[in-house]
Amino acid sequence: MEGESAFQSYLNGALEIFGIKADEDERAVMMGVWSLYEPGMEALRDADLDGIEPELHPDLSKPPAQ
Amino acid sequence: MSALDLPLREQAAQIASGELDSGELLDACLARIEERNPDLNAVIATFPDRSREMLEKAPDGPLRGVPVLIKDEWPLPWRAETVGAASVPGVTLEPGESGPYRALRDAGAVIAGIANMHELGSSSTGNTSLYGAAHNPWDLERCPGGSSSGPAAAVSGGLVSGAVGADGLGSIRYPAAYCGLTGLKPTFGRSAMDGHHIVNTETIVSGPLCRDAADARLLASALFGEDLPAGQPSGLRIGVMRDPFWTDSAPGVREACETALESLRAEIDGEVVEVELPDLDLILPAALLVAQAEEAAHLVPEVLNGLSPELGLVNRGVLKLRALLPLSLTARAFRVRAKVRRDLAALFDGIDLLAWPAVPAVAPSLAEPMIELPSGVESADAGNARQGVLANLTGVPGVSVPVGLDDGMPAALQLLGAWGSDALLLDAAEALERATDREFVDLRPSDRKTAPLRSGGQSP
Repeated sequence: MEGESAFQSYLNGALEIFGIKADEDERAVMMGVWSLYEPGMEALRDADLDGIEPELHPDLSKPPAQ
Repeated sequence: MSALDLPLREQAAQIASGELDSGELLDACLARIEERNPDLNAVIATFPDRSREMLEKAPDGPLRGVPVLIKDEWPLPWRAETVGAASVPGVTLEPGESGPYRALRDAGAVIAGIANMHELGSSSTGNTSLYGAAHNPWDLERCPGGSSSGPAAAVSGGLVSGAVGADGLGSIRYPAAYCGLTGLKPTFGRSAMDGHHIVNTETIVSGPLCRDAADARLLASALFGEDLPAGQPSGLRIGVMRDPFWTDSAPGVREACETALESLRAEIDGEVVEVELPDLDLILPAALLVAQAEEAAHLVPEVLNGLSPELGLVNRGVLKLRALLPLSLTARAFRVRAKVRRDLAALFDGIDLLAWPAVPAVAPSLAEPMIELPSGVESADAGNARQGVLANLTGVPGVSVPVGLDDGMPAALQLLGAWGSDALLLDAAEALERATDREFVDLRPSDRKTAPLRSGGQSP
C-alpha cells in the first residue's frame, strides 16, 4: 500500500498471520503506541549485549549474585 | 477536627488507649465516603456489613480498628477484584483471601471499601476506569495518577488515612506524587502479594499510600508482616543522575526537588554526589517488556478476538500490539535487566540513596494528560515511566515524598535505595519532613483554595 510505513506493513501482516482481528480504531492505537515505543525498542534491538546473560531464577529482592 | 483526619498511627493509638471508638470511626469513614466520593470517585465499592464484621473480629494488632482502603487489584473473601476493567483478558477472577487482605486483617485493620484504579493498571494517569476516572482532590479536573488512582485520591481527599496500592511500573509513586502523599514501592517480594491475578509477577508489589512517612511505615509493616524500625539516618551519600531525570523535569518541579534535596542533605549531614548509570535508554523498554511478558501467555487470538467491548480502546489496542512484539526484544530485555541490576548494585556500593523527581511534571488534566517538559510536550505516561521504572526492573525500593507545589499542585521527590533498604528510605523521608517542618506533608488540597500558591515549589 502506498505510503505504508514499515511498522504498518508488519502490523497488517502479523495481525493476519496470527488471526487477530483489529478494527481501524485499534490499529490507530497500535500505531500511536508503537510510535512511543519505537525509539526505545530500536535502542534495545541495537544494543551491544554480547556476553551478557539473563539471570537464572533471580531473587529480585536482593542484588544479583556475584 | 474529625478523628478521620488524624494520621493512621494516631487513630490506631487512640483506639488502643480507648480514647477513640473504632465503631464510630468506621461509621464516620463510611459517612465521609458517602459525602465526598461523588466528587472524587476514589471508592468503587463499600460493604458496611463486611467491614463491621472485620472490626468485630479484629485482632489486637498495630492497626486494630483503623479503616483503610485496598486497590481493586486483589480479591477479598466476599468480592473478586475487577482491576478497573470490564474483564481481565484470559483470566477468571474470583473472591478469595489475598495476601494483602490477610496482612490487613491480621494487623487488625478494617477494609472500608475498594479503591478505584486505572483500567488494567496500564497507565500513570488514572484517567480511565470501568467505573469512571478518579479525580485529584487538589483539582478535580486533573489526573489523580495511576494506576493506584483511587487509593491516592481517597487518602488525599481525607476518606481514609491509609490505602494499599500496587506498583508494577511506578503505580504507587506516580499517584502519591500527583496527590501530595508519601507512597512506598517496597523491595520486590517483601510485601504481601499472593492472590494477584498475575501469579508469578517479577515487577509488581503492594505498598502503602499515606499522608506521611510514619504512616507509610506502619502500613508497610503490616504488608511486610514485620516491623520496619525507625532510625535516624546520618552521613548518607545521595546520588543524583542529572540527565534526564532532573534536566528534563518541569522547572517548578525541579526547583522544589532541588530545595528538598539540599534540605535533606543538611538534615542528615549527608553528601550529594553526581553519579551515572549506563544504558539509561534501555531501562524503559526493558521494563515494559519484562512487565508485559508476565501476562503474555494470555494474549492468544482467541482471547484477543473476544475482548470485551467495554474495555477501553487504548487497552484493546495495546493488548493486541503486545501480542505482536518480537520475542527477540523480550529476550534482550531480560539481558538488560541482568546488566542494569549488576550496574545498580555496583552504584549502591558507593552511595546510600538515589534521588530525582518522582514525576517530571505535576498532574495534568484528565481530559488531555500531556505534560510540558524542557524537551517538549509529551504524554504524562512517557515522562512518568522514565522516572519510575528502574525500581521495578531491578527490584529496589522507592519512595515518593511531597516536597512542594508547582502551579498549585504537589511536586514530589523520589528516593531509591538498595535492595532491602525500605526502612532507610522511610527514615530519609521522615528526615526530609523534619527538615521542612512538615510543611508539605501537612498541606491539604483545601489549602490550595484558601491560600493561592505561586509556582516554583514555595508556599507564600
